[in-house]
Amino acid sequence: MAEGKTTKYWKSWKEGPGASPLVQISRDEFPEPLDRPAEQFSRRSFLKAVGFTAAVATAGAGCSHAPVEKAIPYLIQPEEIIPGVSYFYATTCGGCSAGCGVLAKNRDSRPIKLEGNSEHPISRGGLCAIGQASLLDLYDSHRLKEPRLDGKVASWEEVDREIIARLAEIRKSVGSVRFLSGTILSPTLNAQIKKFLGQFNDGRHIVYDALSSSAILDAHQETHGQRLLPHFRFDKADVIASFDADFLGTWISPVEFTRDYAAGRRLDTKPLRMSYHAQFESRLSVTGAKADRRVRVSPQELGESMVRLASRLARFAGAPFPLTVNDSASVQDAVLEDLAKKLWQARGRSLVVCGVQDVGLQVLANYMNELLENYGSTVDVARPSLQKGGNDRELQALLDELKGGKVAALFLYGVNPVYSLPHGPQFAEWIKQVPLAVSFADRLDETSAVARFVCPDHHALESWSDAEPVLGHISLFQPAIHPLGRTRAALESFAIWGGQPKTAYDAVRDYWRENIFPRIRGAADFQSFWDRSVEAGFAVVSADPPKTTKFRTTALRDVAKTTVASDKFSLVLYPKVAMLDGRHTENPWLQELPDPISKVTWDNYACFSPRAAQRLGLEEGDVVRVETDAQIGSSPALELPIFIQPGQHDQIIAVALGYGSKGTERFSDIGPKWLFARPDVGEDGRIGKNASPLLSFEDGTLQYIREGVSIRKTGKRHTLASTQTHQSLTLPGNVPLLGGKQREIVRETTLPVLVADAKSPSSEPSKANGLWPPDHPYTGHKWAMAIDLTACTGCSSCVVACQAENNISVVGKDEVVRHREMHWMRIDRYYSGQEDVDVVHHPMLCQQCDNAPCETVCPVLATVHSAEGLNQQIYNRCVGTRYCANNCPYKTRRFNWFNYMREDHLQNLALNPDVTVRSRGVMEKCTFCVQRIEAARIEARRHDKPIADGQIQTACQQSCPAQAIVFGDLNDPSSRVAKLAQDRRRFGVLEEFNFRPSVNYLALVRNREGAEEKGKESQNHG
Amino acid sequence: MNQRVVTLGMCVGLLFSLIALALQAGAWHLPGNQQGYEPIQPIAFSHRLHAGEMQIGCLYCHSGAEVSRHAGIPPASTCMNCHRFVSAPLGALRAEDELARKENRKPRVIVSPEIQKIYNDLALDDRLLRDPQRTPQPIAWTRVYRLPDFAYFNHSAHVDVGVACQQCHGPVETMDRVRQVPDLTMGWCVNCHRTASAAGVASKPVHPSTDCSTCHY
Repeated sequence: MAEGKTTKYWKSWKEGPGASPLVQISRDEFPEPLDRPAEQFSRRSFLKAVGFTAAVATAGAGCSHAPVEKAIPYLIQPEEIIPGVSYFYATTCGGCSAGCGVLAKNRDSRPIKLEGNSEHPISRGGLCAIGQASLLDLYDSHRLKEPRLDGKVASWEEVDREIIARLAEIRKSVGSVRFLSGTILSPTLNAQIKKFLGQFNDGRHIVYDALSSSAILDAHQETHGQRLLPHFRFDKADVIASFDADFLGTWISPVEFTRDYAAGRRLDTKPLRMSYHAQFESRLSVTGAKADRRVRVSPQELGESMVRLASRLARFAGAPFPLTVNDSASVQDAVLEDLAKKLWQARGRSLVVCGVQDVGLQVLANYMNELLENYGSTVDVARPSLQKGGNDRELQALLDELKGGKVAALFLYGVNPVYSLPHGPQFAEWIKQVPLAVSFADRLDETSAVARFVCPDHHALESWSDAEPVLGHISLFQPAIHPLGRTRAALESFAIWGGQPKTAYDAVRDYWRENIFPRIRGAADFQSFWDRSVEAGFAVVSADPPKTTKFRTTALRDVAKTTVASDKFSLVLYPKVAMLDGRHTENPWLQELPDPISKVTWDNYACFSPRAAQRLGLEEGDVVRVETDAQIGSSPALELPIFIQPGQHDQIIAVALGYGSKGTERFSDIGPKWLFARPDVGEDGRIGKNASPLLSFEDGTLQYIREGVSIRKTGKRHTLASTQTHQSLTLPGNVPLLGGKQREIVRETTLPVLVADAKSPSSEPSKANGLWPPDHPYTGHKWAMAIDLTACTGCSSCVVACQAENNISVVGKDEVVRHREMHWMRIDRYYSGQEDVDVVHHPMLCQQCDNAPCETVCPVLATVHSAEGLNQQIYNRCVGTRYCANNCPYKTRRFNWFNYMREDHLQNLALNPDVTVRSRGVMEKCTFCVQRIEAARIEARRHDKPIADGQIQTACQQSCPAQAIVFGDLNDPSSRVAKLAQDRRRFGVLEEFNFRPSVNYLALVRNREGAEEKGKESQNHG
Repeated sequence: MNQRVVTLGMCVGLLFSLIALALQAGAWHLPGNQQGYEPIQPIAFSHRLHAGEMQIGCLYCHSGAEVSRHAGIPPASTCMNCHRFVSAPLGALRAEDELARKENRKPRVIVSPEIQKIYNDLALDDRLLRDPQRTPQPIAWTRVYRLPDFAYFNHSAHVDVGVACQQCHGPVETMDRVRQVPDLTMGWCVNCHRTASAAGVASKPVHPSTDCSTCHY
């Protein structure tokens, strides 16, 4: 490909445009100085102790026997279980309300890993970081093991007796019964709740999503006469305009949307084509980072942009535009004109989505989709999505009722309102006044701690249930393990309280027999339908489309125009990819997962744009008070460390929700105990701060944007555990290179350049041998990987999948600050540009170099090359010199500074028995999931067949919702990985140095014209 | 810290360990090498009787060896396939029959004490029916062959290419109590992998790898 000017990439503001000669960014792997303790032990005593220990160890070891180990077989072995052989149960992920299909990999009667179900109609093979990590929740020792009554452990009989007695009283009276839940996907549970509430004179089910999409549903009520959430089809969209909808990260159904979005950007068709995606947003989201055109707008300008776009589309359609349009010229005019043209040309194949909780804007988005004839193609209302059913208006009504003390019984399922509502503490008081308050929470969170009855539900992997994420697409939950505690499925609890006890299995099966089975066409008998559904994990059945009306243009309304004083900010409260609304806040894998954009772990923080921080004279880590007008003077205000986030609008502060909950107090001793250990939690003993008191209700919707927020410095400092400058790859300027050319670590291009380039012959990668002799013939397999940077969204699902598969330790915040995180796979995030930054996500793992620099320096041959191109790491041989990590140009080796594995025997059940648990003093790194390679080889030899392409999937590859990762045999010319190695976009990182990495990257392609760039050159690929 | 006390303490410790070493000098071996280990098992199961005299195939009980990493110890239900009917040695049964005929009565059910242990563990009563009063108790055998956690040996990979069980486990069919025959060191494994790639297994060519990651991951 043509060589162009080089883009300057940078990872953090301080080493990028904000570089100051005074701030020296350390290039060392571990930058901290070696502090030594004051001499407490003389050198003489030390040597004596060493000699003594060595002598005793030698003498003792020779006579010692290995510990006696017991082997305890089953008395009666279940038919499907063979010790040592894994088997899979098709079930559904309970991590959020998207309802993705998973296969629970079971070994010896316990799930050890979750894999995406490739046949599932919603997720089709991918799984997000939360889904991967939800396995650890199953083995959480903090989960409630039995019901509680008045804060004390009770038996189910006691609890049932009390509840039934109280319910009987309410039935006789006219007391109101309220069921407050998150979106419940289970049709069986929904039906049962309906039936249960029907027994009372005044029973109502209120759905509350802490991350609400209520405005979209309300808008469809107004424009289509049905309160529904359409099923967005990104796979059918050639042009996507998104207004603050983080659909690749946290919005509604990210795994499904990522899969669909990536399908439109595969670049394997002839002629080359990819979808066009424009993103209008104020903070930098995962979705914005992927956009071909990203426009930074303040939350106030967003509505204006939508009106302007809609008026242009109306003009193209020849329809009268009923709203007033600001005629003044705007910098966005050119962008909007271009976008409008693109959308109009792709009528029926375009999509406008809006993530703002404002019914007016949502109506406008519907209007645009209507003008663009997208209803029925990319916006499906015939089979709507049921993944978000929250109704904020009803929630508000419930709050009023609670305030007035009018509720006789309150059931809380899958929600934590005391934590997540703006008036949480008041809510706690209201709950205490409710005569019958029942929580189904599986932990003692803020809400269940004040509820009189706690009836813990099973984990999703322990129970029978079902889920209908999209109308007619019904997914099944089946237990992969016997319940670990004396918990009980909510389905069973309701059946008992309703007077008709029934197991969850019977409840689901009966519901399916009566309601789902009749909807299947060409129906055989129920038993075979049920068996097939349990085996597959889902069933697709017919469904009556909701009766929608013709589009009502009358719903359109003018967008309220607000301005924010120049010294004030708008506060944007957003969900993080790993934390969402805080439902998995107790999961250490998710807490330690670097945020895809900021790369910060174990904290939330106030994001400022570089310019805003400069204006206020703030440095990263300064703690500020974030105050709303109403709050000034009154306490408590939110005190947060600041983080400088390039690409963010100058008038906003972005703060993540889901932090600072009670459950995070458990992490106070997560890190290793040693002399210089620093606390892993904040001053209040928690991880981050809870920002939900700053949420508000407006026009019947929960608002995530707060205007007129002021900032006050506190003078305090707080260290953020950010990994963005850890393990930085560097290009030494003084090393002579083969061919004399030095290229950037990541490469990107644009679609027009790629198309033009396709006509010229491709250049072969350098074949020179240099220092190393060509002594690896690779006569059998040659394992290799290809990673498509165009597909990768940085969602980090691979990072957690790798962690689950390979028993990777959690190290705690303090260790992360010391650059000692253990993730074998990391996603490097590079920025380019100044203010309107472009983002490149670059998954980085051991490159399994043919000429591996680590191998030549190991003094004990603990890292050697295999005949199949793997760079093997032998833990039992490693003596921990760390020479290899020092010599690794990709910085992918991790050292065990401590014995990180906890003494939590329950949590240890999540360990993969096929991978060694490493101990202190040992180096480790990505192995290309060699345990999976070996398993596949043994399996193939048993059946006397060669290993088929695609038979081995590494954990990261399996989990990737975008299918960005391909693994296979380079020696098989028909394999996908071999074909991708010939792709025009292929490049190897630092390949000029002749390391011959086995990981091929495919350059990032943006669908934009070179001319659209503002003085920035993007044709820098090779 | 008083240096002298520390030094003295260390010397005493060293002396004790040297004495301990001297006492066990005969049993000295490299750390981790358990060759010859022959623990007493909770049930005196005799491989000589079952595999040797009765000629029951190894895979009848250790059925996991064909498909799994672990050969597996059979569940008690597998024992009951035969011991539902066989409750004592043939000689003892015959003697009882003889005696019963002489005394002109029905022969009593004779259960050998070792087989009785299986019935007890399964919580079975005299008529071999499940006794609801008792809880079944799994049998805790003592593991003889034990590899360290960082080495992954797969039975199925070896059994499926035709490696005889005795090649690694020795003449188990002659042992009343199972003994660890090889030293299970890495050199022992690798030697076999090397000879097998040259000579094959059961005169069929095989491709055992000597890459580290074949066993270590």
